[in-house]
Amino acid sequence: MSDLKGKQEQASPGYLEAKARWNAEFEAQCKDIGKRRNRSGIVVEPLYGPDNWNSSRHLQDLGFPGQYPTTRGIHASMHRGRPWVPRMVVGLGVPEDYNRRMRELYAMGLTGLFVSPSNIHLRGYDTDEVEPELITGIGTLISTSEDFAICLNGLPFDRESISVGDTAPYTLTAMLLKVAKDRSIPWSSLAGTTNQSDYLSHYAALHMFFRLALPGQKRVLLDHAEWMNTNVPRWNAFSIVGQHMQQAGATPAEAVGLTISSAIQYANDLIERGRPPDSFLPRFSFFFDVSLSFFEEIAKFRAGRRVWARIVRERFKTQDPRSQRFRFHVQTSGADLTRQQPLNNIARVTVQAMAGIFGGLQSLHTDAYDEALGTPAESAARIAVATQNILREEAHLDDVIDPLGGAYYIESLTNQMEDEIVSVIRAVDDNGGMAAAVQSGFVQRLIGRSALEFQKKVENKEQRIVGVNSYEHDEDSRTLPAGTQRPDRVKVDAYLERLRAFRANRNQSKVAQALDELGASFESSNENTFAKIVGAIDAGATHGEVCARVREAVGFGEPLVLV
Amino acid sequence: MKSAKKAGDRPARVLITRIGLDGHDRGSRIVAAFLRDAGMEVVYTGPWQTVASVTNLALQEDVDVVGISSLAGDHLLVPKVIKELKATGLGHVAVVVGGIVPDTDIRTLADAGVAHVFHPGSTREEIVGKIAEFASAARAQATM
Amino acid sequence: MTDFAARMKGNVTVHLLVARLLRGEPLALARAISIVENSGNGAAEILAGVREHLGKATLIGITGPPGVGKSTLIDALITEFRRRKRRVSVLAVDPSSPLTGGAILGDRVRMSRHTNDPGVFVRSIASRGHLGGLFRTVWGVLQVMDAFGPDFIIIETVGAGQSEVEIADYAHTNIVVCAPGLGDDIQAIKAGILEIADILVVNKSDQPFAQSTVQQLAGMLSLRDPSVPVARIISTTATNGDGIPELASALEELHGSASGNDRNMENGAKARRILARSAAHLLRERILTGSDPIVKSLCDRLKRREIDPPAAALELLSRLVIHEADATTGIDCFDR
Repeated sequence: MSDLKGKQEQASPGYLEAKARWNAEFEAQCKDIGKRRNRSGIVVEPLYGPDNWNSSRHLQDLGFPGQYPTTRGIHASMHRGRPWVPRMVVGLGVPEDYNRRMRELYAMGLTGLFVSPSNIHLRGYDTDEVEPELITGIGTLISTSEDFAICLNGLPFDRESISVGDTAPYTLTAMLLKVAKDRSIPWSSLAGTTNQSDYLSHYAALHMFFRLALPGQKRVLLDHAEWMNTNVPRWNAFSIVGQHMQQAGATPAEAVGLTISSAIQYANDLIERGRPPDSFLPRFSFFFDVSLSFFEEIAKFRAGRRVWARIVRERFKTQDPRSQRFRFHVQTSGADLTRQQPLNNIARVTVQAMAGIFGGLQSLHTDAYDEALGTPAESAARIAVATQNILREEAHLDDVIDPLGGAYYIESLTNQMEDEIVSVIRAVDDNGGMAAAVQSGFVQRLIGRSALEFQKKVENKEQRIVGVNSYEHDEDSRTLPAGTQRPDRVKVDAYLERLRAFRANRNQSKVAQALDELGASFESSNENTFAKIVGAIDAGATHGEVCARVREAVGFGEPLVLV
Repeated sequence: MKSAKKAGDRPARVLITRIGLDGHDRGSRIVAAFLRDAGMEVVYTGPWQTVASVTNLALQEDVDVVGISSLAGDHLLVPKVIKELKATGLGHVAVVVGGIVPDTDIRTLADAGVAHVFHPGSTREEIVGKIAEFASAARAQATM
Repeated sequence: MTDFAARMKGNVTVHLLVARLLRGEPLALARAISIVENSGNGAAEILAGVREHLGKATLIGITGPPGVGKSTLIDALITEFRRRKRRVSVLAVDPSSPLTGGAILGDRVRMSRHTNDPGVFVRSIASRGHLGGLFRTVWGVLQVMDAFGPDFIIIETVGAGQSEVEIADYAHTNIVVCAPGLGDDIQAIKAGILEIADILVVNKSDQPFAQSTVQQLAGMLSLRDPSVPVARIISTTATNGDGIPELASALEELHGSASGNDRNMENGAKARRILARSAAHLLRERILTGSDPIVKSLCDRLKRREIDPPAAALELLSRLVIHEADATTGIDCFDR
């Protein structure tokens, strides 16, 4: 593919001569002319010009925004027509705490609603099923649809899109549907995402909060996607994640390659079920980290769009442009933030956010400066929202679509990132596709190697981290942020009391029957198990009860741990 | 660094594990590699261990040091681990914590008997050196 | 305290440890394993103390190349044994780094569901490759584990090197695990490993081409030394439990009456091999370490070409004195 990109310009003698002169002066001035590489291992030159890239293949390689291969953007108007959605992970304390924080941030312009449940919830338990020490402030304590209703009081989720941090078996989404029903909001008006529904990336990066055996995970996800496709047409059931793999040490190119491989796997799984690609691909969405490697990240996203569009067209033989759209949410990478000198993180997050915006994201989460320590303090969260507002309103980053397009470096790097991404996809193909590759450990080993390499660079200071391995200075520990505040004891007790009352006051036989139906639905491949989850939540089952029943049916999976 | 870090008559044995609910393990994997490179024997577990399972692991594997990685506030379970280790006859085992621990909790952990808290950014030298020290002390205290 | 008193106190402590071990106390077993593994103070006494209590456990060696699902298989096998109310212990062997001597012992990750089951005891051990490493002490470790009283002891190794082949001789039966679709990696199941198999398990048998893998292996087995009993091939899918009950039953058949003889050595060839290896290891250590003047003078003569290696070896063997202490415990008398 590379020789078709016009990298080698038939340069004029004058050009080459001038370049040689520049190069001589450059080397004379530069003490250290060692090679520099970005995180994906690509050599970064000091200067790029038309001999690296020229625009002779504009229509084939770039296209106009909204036109194949969508390198410059998936919509014609991108941020100029509709700015990116600020969407931050919000999750803390008891439901009332969440509700208050989300309403404040919404008033500040955070129009993308987001509900992040507690780690206890993500592991598949009700709040009172674990040791009390594990009731931290991370994520919101949600065990019942009543909890969720309190979370959503006064929030216009019928008008704004809402992301629910929901891993298998997607009870939180089921709770949303119940709350909507109870408030007479038609499901057809709900827009949003089952955030991070992708189990393969969780398995690969050991991030899997709720471990079902892999075959069970597959069943539950596909049933969920199909059911939502029919009943909640504006919903993205697939949120395919590159974030965890990048945080676990995968390079940016590897993260995109592996994520697209997961998407290919899910697409094949649905095709195996007899679904035509155009019926589900338009609802695929992606979730990526953005690191401090500024230009590399911009090129990564642009390459991602091109690769996805080409793969969808070539492998799934569809011409529908909506199927080819690489829609993605970006979160600034917490792995780049430091505990030392935390206010520096504001600068880091700003640079990361800009890279994502120039990369053409659809929605953006900016970390708070203390996010490395836990759930952000309110003041820190406000700065994170303000950062996005500043970039949009004051720096006007939404004025021009793909503003770095056409830059020799960016286009050259986009091509190189594409090559890296494609080689990762091919390697996964050779290992049987993503599902097989994570079961055999191929993906985990790939990520582990990259993680070790990065660690070495930090150790020998090839990669400097301000405040950590360079520019350190002693800090008064009293000035460091306190980190996650544990929820107030009184509030937690009140919450647990309400949970107890919820269980006591429902129609027990209805719940029991609904749970039995859920369990039974796994025996037959003709039933949709998610429909039964919706039914169970509607009848009043708790999150933990649904999870336990599903675990019983499909088994608790074990992660593949490799050192 | 090339000489094997022994604790008494044998290489130091260290349990590297994660309790609580978080799944991230990049840090603990790197620490395990550091310790192996320093000649120690590292029993490495998957995530989501409980107080009971950490105790049983430390018991069966006769380790000198237990290293617990904590990211999401799960470190407050560590005092329970120490209590359980003592009750099981493993009071000589040193317990260290690595990860994100707010300063407000460090005192609590120290009072409960945690030997050291390693913050992100701790160097290889620091980690290996301290753990070797604790391992030697533990072995010396171990009785039949 | 006088030296004598200290020794007496030590003896009493060891005696108590052995008593607790024989009563099935896991902490005592864990400590005893450490002492014996490292030839520490009291190792000889511990081994003497357990000698009368051996023979209940059936030792099962399980090995195979990476990626075949060996750990999942062992996990499933333990579950099945426990279902049958059998006590199980596992010795999981991982290689030590040849450079640093350290090791990552990660095999038990896949057995984590059994961590809190009092009927299951899992211990990880490093191969400590140099100078015969593990082989020197694993014999003692297995005796201590036997005395603890389980029905089965599973010895798990990676299946890549010579020490795995050596350890295989300690087991009553050896299982080699393969999986279909290894392709060229079938060759990775080196001939040496295949030779030791009493049972060949083809795991991941739900995958395509499982049947042809079984046939391929049957073919390879037919090329083995005809005097060696034919290996059995069992197909399993460890992830869903298929074939596991069959495997467990095959192993139960072996688990039988205690006899005065070491059941393991009923195969005479095995006894010879074990004797040969033990002698070789003992000799290797004496020659490679320590300051024995006989060894030193022979080496000088070798260097000066005054004698050639076969003659030197013969002279060494005729002149070497083996102390009783060396012979009974395998403790290297030069290490102190």
